[in-house]
Amino acid sequence: MNQEELNNKLSEIKDKLIAVEQPADSRIYLTCEAENSYAVNKFLFEDVPLRFVIATGIDSDDCFEILYHYAYDETGCMVTLKAFIRDRENPAIESIAPFMPAAEWIEREIHDILGIEFKNHPDMRRLILADDWPEGIYPLRKDAKKPVKRPDGEVCSRPIVQSQSPARRTVELSKPVVAVGPFHPLQEEMEFFQLTVDGEIVTDIDMRISYNHRGIEKISESLQFDQVPFLVSRICGICSASHPLAYVQAVEDIAGVQPPERALYVRTIINELERIHSHVLWVGLAGHFIGYDTVFMWAWKYREPVLDLLEEITGNRNNYGNVKVGGCREDIPDELTPKILKELDKIEKKMEMLTKAVLDDPILHARLKGVGILTREAAVDYAVTGPTARGSDVGIDVRRDDPYAAYGALDWNVITQTEGDVFAKAVVRLLETFESIKIVRQALKNLPDGPVTTEVKEIPPGEAVGHAEAPRGETFHYVRSDGGNRPVRHKVRAPSYVNVPSFRASCIGQHIADVTITLAAVDPCYSCTERLAVVDQHKNVIHDYDTLLRLSREKTARIKKEMGAPELKMEDL
Amino acid sequence: MSVPLNILFWVVVIPGTVILGLVACWIVRKVSALVQWRVGPPLCQPLYDIMKLMGKEILVPQDAQRTVFMAAPLVGLAGVLLLSMMLWRITVAQTAFIGDIIVAIYLMVLPSLALILGSSASGSPHAAIGTSREMKLVMGYELSLVLAFIVVIIKTGGQLDLATIAQQAPALSISGMLAFLVALLCVQAKLGFVPFDIAEAETEVAGGVLIEYSGALLAVWKVMHAVMLVALPLFLVTVFLGGFGTTGWSLVWGIGKYVLIVVLLILIKNTNPRVRIDQAMKFFWFYCGIALVAAIILATIGSYYGIGWL
Repeated sequence: MNQEELNNKLSEIKDKLIAVEQPADSRIYLTCEAENSYAVNKFLFEDVPLRFVIATGIDSDDCFEILYHYAYDETGCMVTLKAFIRDRENPAIESIAPFMPAAEWIEREIHDILGIEFKNHPDMRRLILADDWPEGIYPLRKDAKKPVKRPDGEVCSRPIVQSQSPARRTVELSKPVVAVGPFHPLQEEMEFFQLTVDGEIVTDIDMRISYNHRGIEKISESLQFDQVPFLVSRICGICSASHPLAYVQAVEDIAGVQPPERALYVRTIINELERIHSHVLWVGLAGHFIGYDTVFMWAWKYREPVLDLLEEITGNRNNYGNVKVGGCREDIPDELTPKILKELDKIEKKMEMLTKAVLDDPILHARLKGVGILTREAAVDYAVTGPTARGSDVGIDVRRDDPYAAYGALDWNVITQTEGDVFAKAVVRLLETFESIKIVRQALKNLPDGPVTTEVKEIPPGEAVGHAEAPRGETFHYVRSDGGNRPVRHKVRAPSYVNVPSFRASCIGQHIADVTITLAAVDPCYSCTERLAVVDQHKNVIHDYDTLLRLSREKTARIKKEMGAPELKMEDL
Repeated sequence: MSVPLNILFWVVVIPGTVILGLVACWIVRKVSALVQWRVGPPLCQPLYDIMKLMGKEILVPQDAQRTVFMAAPLVGLAGVLLLSMMLWRITVAQTAFIGDIIVAIYLMVLPSLALILGSSASGSPHAAIGTSREMKLVMGYELSLVLAFIVVIIKTGGQLDLATIAQQAPALSISGMLAFLVALLCVQAKLGFVPFDIAEAETEVAGGVLIEYSGALLAVWKVMHAVMLVALPLFLVTVFLGGFGTTGWSLVWGIGKYVLIVVLLILIKNTNPRVRIDQAMKFFWFYCGIALVAAIILATIGSYYGIGWL
């Protein structure tokens, strides 16, 4: 189905819509009233069919808007459906989660932050707000500004693992439950999986996220357009090139700016180096999870030169801060090219050895093949992206489907596997590193001359979506501008946000021993998944940097005093 | 052996074994580190770990069966120390009765049994899974281990006495070699090394059997594990590789055999991922079982017709 057929197909539901806008070939905006959203969504998801990306809840002045973002991967078209909820007192809309599991989390999230009720949602527990967060306070509403105190004046500290409120208790205590989290050797970050087990077999799984909110979306609304890339690169240390890129592409779309050619190539190189180091990191961690620490250590050793290259190019191992609206901040000097090519040769050789070792190991076959299978159907229902999707024979890749940076001009392949098990995902990642090496080589060879930035004066009012293929899958940013110098709404969807819920489809019925590697197989990135909400509101004391510094100094002084050390003054030094 | 020497033996044997065990622990960690391109810990690190744990608080879970929980590590340690004592008596200071292979088999099960008891007494769901895995694992490898020793008994002409077995080297034959390799893997499982660290599986059940242990009790488990690192390879040397001398070249040769076994264990540990418990049981019962039945048949034919190399 090409773009024209898609447009024709969409016109079939015209009577349910208010308007259809198409600012560019690959961007379509539909608007409808809340009453019709269920029917339109069902049509988009089941009849067209489109891939659900995420939904954005926005508090406009006179109404609430829910934006359902879809992608049509064959042409790379992004379709956004806007539903208006006019009733501000009791905002409600029909839930789409019953036919689309991928929407389950985001509807819970919008319920948490905007207080919109989703009718017929299967599981309306809180997703991202703390258990002790007071009812009726919605952090992303425009009127939620003042710090709040609980009615009884009590301040509970997080994390609370088992909630006291019956609404959040999920597993009956009569069944044996194995807790993976909130702190567990499997995980580098806080996350909580409750596995209900029958002997060694897992019969149910419940997930709890958001032990570590940073309120990125909220903070973004208070930063200028040019400052936001630094913020979003800190969503995740590993995807710190793809998040800003997706954001910058959205803003460039609003402003109608075309960055110079050379900048596009520089962006491509940095993003691909990021993919190489991220995939190698995963291989190491996967080895660790199945007790293969030698692979862990070797893979991470091979990853180091990639980080060194990134440091040489951008000045940082992570958080490169190189991309900006209208181009790049720093160029790749031409004299660095031979060095990068030389290092790439070395990395390729080592990766060939590692890949061969991993793919030929009979015990690894026994451990990973047929384990944690995510079927093609489940992959579509949960709308997973990246290697998780490509391992299940869903051949989507933003770099090819909706080419950005310089990907359209380069020759490379999308790797897919059909099995959908952990082994397939490992193969996809390992082979993708070779494709990435190929891309970097070509990009360096074809690197055009010229500047890397173009001047951007103002960001006009408007809205746009930007997406990029991060190592874990599609990272998606939606930005709305009102013509000022700050975004009025900035929605971030990291790939793990859709990949993690697919555990429900891939883990149940597995052995406990296999669940852990299945959990790890999507390369979950919790820091990406948890980027929203404001946690300091239930404390009246807000520790800023100065306070912390003072407290830290006071503690040092106290300890010194207790130890009887002589007091050292600045003047003495 | 003269009387003062004998007394000296009794004084040094237990602390000596523990120290040797800690050194063996260090070797395992250091060699693993080198294989993994790391620097590895200093020689005294295992000792520091034990000392540090000794100073920490012992936490007993509310739901735990207190006595069993506290006593289990001591039982395990006692069992494995007794085993090592037996082996030292065979090699260093021989006396009239020092126990036979049957006693040794019993003593070798004690640490695992203690682990099962202790962890099931702790009342933690993670430990429960670890316990069930440890039980299955014990049932898996114990059969293979006993069959491997039967090969040895056949090869040595029906001998049960360890001191007599130690005079011969059954591994220098086809059946003996098969039995030795299987026994080596069983020892790998007994030590809880990858690929058979299923019961502890840090990334699956967060330490499993040991999850609730802390402080001095955990230290006792660690010491037990260290002593096992001495006793089990030494036992293999005694049973399969012709024992251990005390003087001159035979001592060097004996140390060489011990190091060979430890290095084999470390290499297996570092070149394999963890297997699942059903895969482990299938491996021990099915593959090892078949190999051992073949070994027993070969050994029987060999001893009937007097062919040594079978």
